[in-house]
Amino acid sequence: MNTIFTPPLYIQRYEFVIDFVKKNKPKKVVDLGCNDCTLLRKLKFHKEIELLAGLDIDCAVIRAKMYELAPIPTDYLQPGDHPLTIELYQGSVTERDPRTKGFDLVTSIELIEHLQLEDVDRFTEVVFGYMAPVAAIISTPNADFNPLLPGLTGFRHYDHKFEWTKVEFQTWALKVCREFGYVVAFTGVGQIPAQEESIGFCSQIGVFQIDRSGGDAPRLQNNVLYNVVYPSLCDSNIFQRTLVNEVLYWAETLKREWLEEIRFEVENEEVGGEGRTDMGLYREGQSVCVPLVRLCSCPRVQALSGTVQHLTKFLLENSRVQLTNDGTAVVLVDNDDEDLEWDENCDNTGTGPFLVSSVENEDWETELGQ
Amino acid sequence: MTGRARARSRGRARGQETAAPGVTPFQETAREAPPSEGELVGRGRQRTAPGAVSSEAVIQISAGFQQVKIGERGGRRRDFHDAGINTRQAMEHVRESKSGFSGSPIELKANFFKILSRPQWVLYQYHVDFKPVMESRRLRSALMYQHEETLGKARTFDGALLFLPHKLHNTETVLYSETRMGEKVQITVTLTNELPPTSPVCLQFYNIIFRRVLRMLNMQQIGRHYYNPTDPLNIPQHRLTIWPGFTSTILQYESNIMLCTDVSHKVLRSETVLSFMMGLRQQSGDQRFPEACTKELVGLIVLTKYNNKTYRIDDIAWDHTPNNTFKRGDSEISFKDYYKAQYGLDITDGNQVLLISHMKKIGPSGGPPQGPAMLVPEFCYLTGLTDKMRADFNIMKDLSTHTRLTPEQREGRLNRFVGNIHQNTEAQTELNTWGLNFDNKLLSLTGRVLPSERIVQGSRTYEYNPWQADWSKEMRGIPLISCRPLENWLMFFTRRNNDVAQALLQTLNKVSTPLGIRMQRAIMVEYEDRQESLLRALQQNVKKETQMVVVVLPSNRKDKYDSVKKYLCVDCPTPSQCVVARTLCKQQALMTVATKIALQINCKMGGELWSVEIPLKQLMIVGIDCYHDTAAGKRSIGALVASLNQGMSRWFSKCVLQNRGQEIMDGLKVALQGALKAWLKHNNCLPSRIIVYRDGVGDGMLQSVVNYEVPQIMESIKTMGHDYAPKLTLVVVKKRISSRFFARIDGKLTNPPPGTCIDTEVTRPEWYDFFIVSQAVRMGSVSPTHYNVVYDSSGLKPDHMQRLTYKLCHMYYNWQGIIRVPAPCQYAHKLAFLVGQSIHREPNMNLDDFLYYL
Repeated sequence: MNTIFTPPLYIQRYEFVIDFVKKNKPKKVVDLGCNDCTLLRKLKFHKEIELLAGLDIDCAVIRAKMYELAPIPTDYLQPGDHPLTIELYQGSVTERDPRTKGFDLVTSIELIEHLQLEDVDRFTEVVFGYMAPVAAIISTPNADFNPLLPGLTGFRHYDHKFEWTKVEFQTWALKVCREFGYVVAFTGVGQIPAQEESIGFCSQIGVFQIDRSGGDAPRLQNNVLYNVVYPSLCDSNIFQRTLVNEVLYWAETLKREWLEEIRFEVENEEVGGEGRTDMGLYREGQSVCVPLVRLCSCPRVQALSGTVQHLTKFLLENSRVQLTNDGTAVVLVDNDDEDLEWDENCDNTGTGPFLVSSVENEDWETELGQ
Repeated sequence: MTGRARARSRGRARGQETAAPGVTPFQETAREAPPSEGELVGRGRQRTAPGAVSSEAVIQISAGFQQVKIGERGGRRRDFHDAGINTRQAMEHVRESKSGFSGSPIELKANFFKILSRPQWVLYQYHVDFKPVMESRRLRSALMYQHEETLGKARTFDGALLFLPHKLHNTETVLYSETRMGEKVQITVTLTNELPPTSPVCLQFYNIIFRRVLRMLNMQQIGRHYYNPTDPLNIPQHRLTIWPGFTSTILQYESNIMLCTDVSHKVLRSETVLSFMMGLRQQSGDQRFPEACTKELVGLIVLTKYNNKTYRIDDIAWDHTPNNTFKRGDSEISFKDYYKAQYGLDITDGNQVLLISHMKKIGPSGGPPQGPAMLVPEFCYLTGLTDKMRADFNIMKDLSTHTRLTPEQREGRLNRFVGNIHQNTEAQTELNTWGLNFDNKLLSLTGRVLPSERIVQGSRTYEYNPWQADWSKEMRGIPLISCRPLENWLMFFTRRNNDVAQALLQTLNKVSTPLGIRMQRAIMVEYEDRQESLLRALQQNVKKETQMVVVVLPSNRKDKYDSVKKYLCVDCPTPSQCVVARTLCKQQALMTVATKIALQINCKMGGELWSVEIPLKQLMIVGIDCYHDTAAGKRSIGALVASLNQGMSRWFSKCVLQNRGQEIMDGLKVALQGALKAWLKHNNCLPSRIIVYRDGVGDGMLQSVVNYEVPQIMESIKTMGHDYAPKLTLVVVKKRISSRFFARIDGKLTNPPPGTCIDTEVTRPEWYDFFIVSQAVRMGSVSPTHYNVVYDSSGLKPDHMQRLTYKLCHMYYNWQGIIRVPAPCQYAHKLAFLVGQSIHREPNMNLDDFLYYL
């Protein structure tokens, strides 16, 4: 049925939401009637979002694909800069649920037409009165458009309880604005070029924006079907680990380059090989010291730590990195020479009672009777 | 299975299937695709109109059920466990018992956990029919979802087959669903099978459930195994990240269904392919970059930033950048725009070249494979190690300090893992709905420690400390079995290494006398520290009568070594010995090093070092291994090494290079004939027994060894004469296995002593197989070697088979101790590796009778 549009209408609806997210950068987004989480899977790539939630009455459909929302290996290999938590709840859109309060954006894509009309009123009260998000995107079929859909009789889906005309939808939306203090803009997706203007879009969309500022309400955490926190640099453990890894990597790299340079100079009998200071590295006994100032010029270290002062502070708290006494350089052991060929035997093999002495003069052939 | 799949490398990630050259995808699909509607599963014996299933029928049906596969999402999976290949049946002498008896019993623990299920546990298999026929599997699943109240929460459905842990009220249940379009669909669910817990389908099923459980423990799947990403180990110097994880398989073992789980570590790189390439460009320079890049990257597995898939890099598209477009639906879109639109990902480097991965998976709805996937280096992360890293001693040392676990640490991790499953409520709920659970402690079993061997060296015999499995001290001052006098030999060195070369020469002289080696002074040749000048020096100085060439290399860079070996193995066949100068620098170690070199030199010229008693006459032992050269057009190299005498101290070696898609055995057939002819020459008769140890068989490749290689070997033997019918045994040797054994000694969990043999409980009922721990390890946990006798007309008792195998582990001349595998396997490995890594051509046949590759 939707194939008359390219891209298909459902994709156009998702893209509408994604464009809205890109433009308005909401931090907390909840999708009502999230079904098998298709929209959530698309939204999770948008770094602006810190909390992404889904609500559906049917936990079976949520469960079917919810693990696809989990972080993938590469999310751990290079944690993002921004935090992201994904939560899925089982619940009804017609009931007040404290977990759904305090969102920046509520999306309800092709949902309300599945509710009985009396439930739509409860839905309206719950979403705009109770949840009171900063913005809401509500989409529903436009009954005016139905005659243009070939072969359609009755509603577009067997489970639809109603399909509103443009006027009906707008009446409802304007009432919402009056009652709950929102402003609404009407738009939609799916248009046939030659159609009359007055018919409007195939899917009509109301974008609601709150008319007053709402404070964040505390959220409760119960009956959560799924909760996953993505690794991000906002987690102090992950940050520490990432920073230390970068520092050690660059310190070792600089050390290697520096030692190679010295070796080159010695081999070419240039004078004062060790005296060169332009790389800033120096020796202290058996160790090589890499100044933090030098490390801070590596883009990734710089990006993570900001200033040398910050870097020093972070590294002093960490036991994996050894600093010089004055705290200005990383100390690395110069362990260059290793025996490659013959692995020296460090014996820690056991001794025990299983000393079965060997058997002598056997002949297995005769035992076989041959 | 197809040629390439069989010849697949052991070293690469296993999650990847390989496509079959020359086999059209259609044929493959026809054979392996999950059964579709209309064609009821089972193999002929299945009733087409299933009624009430009688209990006898169940047994009969289940027995013929070996090949049915269920996929979690209906996908095709290769059977990595080689299940359903019943080789034991054909060997009468082991049908009753395959256990040995020699040695002393030892109490062991193994990394196995028993599966506990409700008594009378049965899995019910239903066939599901849709009317009208629903093409999309996804839609079929969605329609089934609407009937949770009838079917229950616990169910597995792949589009045609439905599995339930409980029986529905009726044999045939008719349900009605409605599609989103309002189309009414009639679903008929018919009972077709009651599967006992041991049926292959059930086993597959347990594995699927177990993977679900692992996902609930927040573990990440990479390839076939699961890893814990939240507690990584880092080696920042090399940008390596190591994830601890577990390998796990649930199978029917000798007497129980068990979960075998071992600690595994996944090595990942915390840098993208792009940053790796930039580093490489800096190192190698623009000129050599494309070559270096191909060499390093092709064959590696990458993870992407945007989906949870792994790809193998097959090629690099030097003419593609993210600005190139591809067809998406009806319109062209650039890679850059695609990733931005689809995943919100920005490409920062618009000039990077793209990576090519050939997709092996069949396309949607069983169509032909999709075209190659183009990957953006910036969004790809490397996994595993490159060959270069593997060769880097420092990296490997750092890695092993992180990944080597003592038996006690290993036991601790395994217990914690199973403990976590028991404590996780979600996991327990899942297991409970299916009526399954796991034992909470490691399996206890009894093994045997085989008698230790006496080492025979000429007229002298001696014993070694069985715990150390090493006789380098014991053999001091005892003459070798046979020595080749060194009369005409050369030593090459650079000016800088003049001192160490002289020191080596003196020390070699000193150590060779007690070994019984007569040594004339070598001709010393100095060469300039360049590859070409070394080659020129070789060309000018190595003569026909030269017996041995020793080269002191200034560094362990591969190119000089390769050119020495290439010249002296192919163009001018002469045994050679390379030494890196640095090894000779340590004064105190020089005696040890020189002794080892003297021993190697002697072997390479055809000398014999030691032997063990082999109580079988006219026995030829053959070892086979292969190496997969990923760089050189994915050629495979097969090596065959065969014994020439009673003492297993002389060997015939042959190496063959195979092109892509060719069977490794095709070339080795000829090599085996060569070996038999060489035996005839040495013994004036043909062997009456041949025992082949076949190494290098990957997971899931057993069937092809049984069906293809055994007949090929027999055919090859037949060419020696019509009335020649020696007894033949083929043993598949496997080193990469996840079984582990621990011994409790003095209240401490330790490695079992060398010679520990296990042939009960954890072996497979359908095979004639056993494990031997032959080597001693100084750090970490020892890994046992698995031996699977797939063909045996020798009538040899299992006890003798085990003992013989263990004896052969004593015979590797490059190590004065016991090794992991029978010596011929290790020789074959060494030869294939040398050819694959350095020579890339078939060595000269004049060298066949020498261990020149040691």
